[in-house]
Amino acid sequence: MNYADIRRLVKLVESSDIGELEIEEGGARLKIAKPSGSASAAPTFMPFPYPMGAPMSAPSGYTPASPSGAAAQAESAPITAAPAKKMHEVQSPMVGTYYRAPGPEAPPYVQLGDMVKPGQVLCIIEAMKLMNEIESEVSGRIAEIRVDNAQPVEFGQILFRIDPA
Amino acid sequence: MFKKVLVANRGEIALRIIRACRELGVQTVAVYSQADADSLHVRFADEAICIGPARGKDSYLNIPRLIGAAEITNSDAIHPGYGFLAENAQFAEICRESNISFIGPSPETITRMGDKALARQTMAAAGVPILPGVEGVLRDEEHALKEAARVGYPVIIKAVAGGGGKGMRIVRNAEELPRNFNMARVEAETSFSNGDVYLEKYLEHPRHIEIQIMGYTDGHAVTFGERDCSIQRRHQKLIEEAPSPVMTASLRKQLCAAAVKGAESVGYVGAGTLEFLYQDGGFYFMEMNTRIQVEHPVSEMVNRIDLVKEMILAVAGKESLKKSPAIEGHAIECRINAEDPDKGFIPSPGQITTFHVPGGMGIRVDTHAYAGYKIPPYYDSLIAKLIAFGNDRDEAIKRMSRALDEFIIEGVATTIPLHRRILASREFASGEYETTFMEHFLEAGKKD
Repeated sequence: MNYADIRRLVKLVESSDIGELEIEEGGARLKIAKPSGSASAAPTFMPFPYPMGAPMSAPSGYTPASPSGAAAQAESAPITAAPAKKMHEVQSPMVGTYYRAPGPEAPPYVQLGDMVKPGQVLCIIEAMKLMNEIESEVSGRIAEIRVDNAQPVEFGQILFRIDPA
Repeated sequence: MFKKVLVANRGEIALRIIRACRELGVQTVAVYSQADADSLHVRFADEAICIGPARGKDSYLNIPRLIGAAEITNSDAIHPGYGFLAENAQFAEICRESNISFIGPSPETITRMGDKALARQTMAAAGVPILPGVEGVLRDEEHALKEAARVGYPVIIKAVAGGGGKGMRIVRNAEELPRNFNMARVEAETSFSNGDVYLEKYLEHPRHIEIQIMGYTDGHAVTFGERDCSIQRRHQKLIEEAPSPVMTASLRKQLCAAAVKGAESVGYVGAGTLEFLYQDGGFYFMEMNTRIQVEHPVSEMVNRIDLVKEMILAVAGKESLKKSPAIEGHAIECRINAEDPDKGFIPSPGQITTFHVPGGMGIRVDTHAYAGYKIPPYYDSLIAKLIAFGNDRDEAIKRMSRALDEFIIEGVATTIPLHRRILASREFASGEYETTFMEHFLEAGKKD
């Protein structure tokens, strides 16, 4: 399932009498719900089950399994752009804990599908009690969020994939 | 006891520390630069965190990234190894502030012993023999001239904050002194951002003999005897042995007692080494290294003690050795570097295609290399330490020679052929060599 497919499904739900559509494919679930009669349907994406288990447990998943260097994040996220398209990868410039929002109650800086501009804050990485804002270097759409809130990240770890626009 | 130790280093020493931790039942975290992703220490640790690109200052020297890695892995201690931040008082201080145990002495002790002039003063006060020289910094030319006359020429002017041969000037008479004093100050300012210099008596043909100590949290220290590290090229050690061929039992007793006293006088905790120059029957304290050293294995073999385990236990405040062990047997270590001795020791990074390590009785190899390993060009050239142990020096030499013949490394140039020649030489066999040995040996070798 790629972004184009999802867009088509959203249009389908919008233009029909379908109130709610749920699809499961390749380990990911997509649910599109129309809030009682409204014309627009915002797709909500289920979080991907990361194979290394709960993000707060011993980060044995950070040990690279292959000689390629950066953390071995399994390529399990099916909600990506078609493989032919070149994505911009946002890599962690530091070692610390990833937070998706400025505070525990605050809304996340970005969500899947959001358009971002250069300089826009994407997330916070915390280390040594200091919060560091990580800014986007490109314009584009958040195609993938590869880390969970409060997950430890290492240098070079891929945080986001942005579909450049 | 620590639950998890982050190893803030790479290469063979990182693996060494991981091994000690495993034996102690302590979890390990390896940190690595992107250039070291295939390194053995990464594979053998329980966890591994990438901390940056290849350059030291962006990875192994990067304090925020190291502390960040310790935080996200919940490490309660950091072992700094040798080199990098091992003797960086600021790093030790930040560890302390971050509630992480630094496996080494306190920041205050590191600072004190890192200041060469201050270290000399401290040891002198503890009765450790020091090289005749000035107590403290040379104020000006006049002061330098006066002190040089008192100490007696030849003298050497050294940078207080220095090392590695920089900011050092040998002066053989009073006429040469003012010029060299000023040049040394400029060099020191440029190299270390600190123009302070001091002077010492200069020994023309000394041996470099060092004493290994271990301090404990209850305030006492023990010693593991000496290592003779006189075989050096440009102040880099090539071969070390324990005990020293020139040490006598009574000299050892005297020197070790002084070393212990010196360590206890500063409340030293952890592994440390006091370096001495020895010439014409006299020992003179040079400096103290507040870290575990590359050549620690030779002391381990003759004392039958794992010094890395011991230093972890010492800093953790665990049970300690009550008294110094007795030295038995003889150990020699050859540092195998990826350098070409026939081409001016030019570094030889690249891929190791064959790597066959020697074995058999009395042979130990500490290495992070393996067949297929690509030696990165960004770090030091040490790829293996070959240690031979025997019941006496003669057996150790024969064993080392045999092992060097078996050590097959292909794909990169190494210093193995040079070590074989040194071990086969009459001077080495006689045990009568000093720090000028390598220079003469290499010169003589060129004539062949």
